[in-house]
Amino acid sequence: MWAQRLGRALATRSASSSLHRRISARIVDNTNIEVRPEQDSQPLTFPGVWLRDNCLCPECFHGSSRSRKLDWDNFDTGVKPVSLRTEDQKPDKELVVQWSDSHESRFSLQWLRERSFEEKRQQSYLADFYRPLTKHWSGAEFPTIARHFSYEEVMQQDAVLLEWLQSLAVHGVALLRGAPLDEGVVRRLAERVGFIRRTTYGEEFVVQAKPGAQNFAYLSLPLPLHTDLPYYEYKPSVNILHCVVQTESVGGSNLLVDAFHIADILRRDYPEDFERLSRVLVDWNDIGSEDGREFHNIWRAPVICLDAQGRYTRVNHSVPQRDSHFNVPLAEVQPWYESYARFVRLARADAHAFKTQPGDVLTFNNIRLLHGRTGYDDTERNSRYIVGAYLDWDIIYSRLRVLKKGGGSQ
Amino acid sequence: MFQADRRELACLPSAKLEQDHQEQQKDLHRSIVVVPETDPERQDLQFPDIWLRDNCRCPECYLPQTLSRLPQLWNNLDTSVHVLRQSVDLQQQVLYIDWSDGHASQYPYDWLRERDFSAANRKRYLRESYRPEQQLWSGQDFEAIRRTFYFQELVTSDLALRQWLHHLAVYGVALVREAPLEMDVLRRLANRVGFMRRTTYGEEFSVRAQPGASNYAYLAAPLPLHTDMPYFEYLPGVTMLHTLEQSASPGGVNLLADAFYVAKIMRDRYPEQFRVLCQTPVDWADKGHDGDLHFHNIWRAPVINLDSEGRFVRINHSIPQRDSHFSVPLEQVRPWYEAMATFVRLAHEHSCRFKTTPGDVLTFDNLRLVHGRTGYDDTDQNVRHILGAFIDWDIVYSRLRVLQGVGTSPDTA
Repeated sequence: MWAQRLGRALATRSASSSLHRRISARIVDNTNIEVRPEQDSQPLTFPGVWLRDNCLCPECFHGSSRSRKLDWDNFDTGVKPVSLRTEDQKPDKELVVQWSDSHESRFSLQWLRERSFEEKRQQSYLADFYRPLTKHWSGAEFPTIARHFSYEEVMQQDAVLLEWLQSLAVHGVALLRGAPLDEGVVRRLAERVGFIRRTTYGEEFVVQAKPGAQNFAYLSLPLPLHTDLPYYEYKPSVNILHCVVQTESVGGSNLLVDAFHIADILRRDYPEDFERLSRVLVDWNDIGSEDGREFHNIWRAPVICLDAQGRYTRVNHSVPQRDSHFNVPLAEVQPWYESYARFVRLARADAHAFKTQPGDVLTFNNIRLLHGRTGYDDTERNSRYIVGAYLDWDIIYSRLRVLKKGGGSQ
Repeated sequence: MFQADRRELACLPSAKLEQDHQEQQKDLHRSIVVVPETDPERQDLQFPDIWLRDNCRCPECYLPQTLSRLPQLWNNLDTSVHVLRQSVDLQQQVLYIDWSDGHASQYPYDWLRERDFSAANRKRYLRESYRPEQQLWSGQDFEAIRRTFYFQELVTSDLALRQWLHHLAVYGVALVREAPLEMDVLRRLANRVGFMRRTTYGEEFSVRAQPGASNYAYLAAPLPLHTDMPYFEYLPGVTMLHTLEQSASPGGVNLLADAFYVAKIMRDRYPEQFRVLCQTPVDWADKGHDGDLHFHNIWRAPVINLDSEGRFVRINHSIPQRDSHFSVPLEQVRPWYEAMATFVRLAHEHSCRFKTTPGDVLTFDNLRLVHGRTGYDDTDQNVRHILGAFIDWDIVYSRLRVLQGVGTSPDTA
């Protein structure tokens, strides 16, 4: 029944495709191929060598693993298209290429369109599918950008899961509410996305006041703004903090700052400070032991890390986890301290404070946001109890792409 | 008691302080503390004021149980803080300082010496405590840098464990032999170091051609040189491959090449192609599922990745895992292909070959080496079965530092 209707629809479509809807193609500069999907449309240009490399025939492409198996040990980058043919009869128009190495390749118009080298198409592919563009915010804007989701809905509805992860990717923070008060929440949530990122401190960790703790976070003192585990080259990406018991004392409030926003301010108003903080390598470290196993982590990186295009890739900040070893020339030290003090002052001034309630799960981007908490007092009857875990961006973005494509089976 | 010196420091232009403020603070900003070395053979030690104040060791500023700085000072750091009085107790080997903010600090000599800002000392520290210097090699040198370790020794001896990890850090490859033919060998090795790195394929993976019952000549295709999982931003650091069964056919030979060496050759001989491979972002991708977990991993990065000082930090290379999406301007495509063909050719030229036997665990740096294997024939009587797992470099280096005793004395902590 359904197949019949579809058949009719296809028949109608092909009947309406008259001459002007015809695909055409030509060879340009001996090497590139210009495809005109319809007579009046803008041509799409593809490099010949790239098309040959991406031939989809069973000799060159392994279908079930969806990957290239072309023999690159004998790949001739001088390969050229010799002749072209286009086919309109199929449900999707096709381009057929004869190559100078006697091979023949076939590409559907849709496949070609999705891989267009047009800048606009590439930008939208990157922003919509690769990684969403981030939007930076000041502390005052927090109430407008911070979204709340129901824990139950995130667990049960893929659409809500997608919204949560998208919000986390764009703004770097999102709050889930109404989670049960058992210790399995962070694991269930992580497994809804993928799996927990393990660190030196294990998979899940508990933040509660432990006198004599080896980690500064496990004390009830105020915890100034910081990122977690800056001493890892592979820093855990997203922090999941499940509030099981909140202190009734004054304090125990969360502080959050978008450090990319602080970097924006520095870049605009204090370019010298920005330059120093993005260039001078700082030694971040953590020495201690967990479950009887000693560790000594060190990673050297600037406070503000940039990629080759000057985009922020990561912020490192932690007063306790900054090593007393500082491996820079003497003359760099004092100026760096001044710049770093400016960064810390700006961040403190911009921090947004709020207090999570039992059943809240605070999730935020640890690559980008600084977080902290105000000091608090535990009593015998009421002691603050937070369960935490990490997720990696690799795993989150992967999940987001699968959700955007509409399910897993594709 | 001796006076420690103060000295003017030719500083980089000071930050954007207002003119008058700058004038007023000039002297303070540019001073360092010079601590005389008792050994005349050695240079005097030098430290900036602000760094000393930041690293005060008193209980108000430093928490010994966490070995870390207490953060209060930074709630409102006064960067103009400076030394009022300083003295050295040569007998006690301590430097004493009274600060302009009313605070007093003392620093043990050994602690200071370890953190001296001289170029030589900083270089020493980075080599000894941060990460050992890598030695690059070509396929012809493989026999010379090849080193074998024994599973039982790695499990029982910290010295052997340290030598293995150190060799792996320096040369990027080490062979472990005489491991039992059991499924938990990689887990035991990983636990000796720290813990396994989980990926979308789980913690351990199995490499095995699976012939049908009546399949006489199952040809397992050659696997060209590649790095594992280039489609992760956080690439797994060290690959471990445990051979349980090896194919008796002539194939199934391991191929390995030091791609940092290949990158170095390209930088020397083909600078323009080298630049192209460093600057053209490539889309690496993996789409599929493992059990119930569906994934679509993508990471955009060049083939040769450099840090801000131009050192090689990571190589990405995999023909199957390179996406057909190539998000660069049209005109960058052909030059990239030409540069890549050079890279692939050189990697082949400088690769080495050997064949592991059951009980071998091949371990190598997956950020640096490319690996592959030649094709082989699998039959029911002739099977190849390899187990694999990863460990991250963060975890390996941490273990190496602990084994080297970097952080054990209070002076270095």
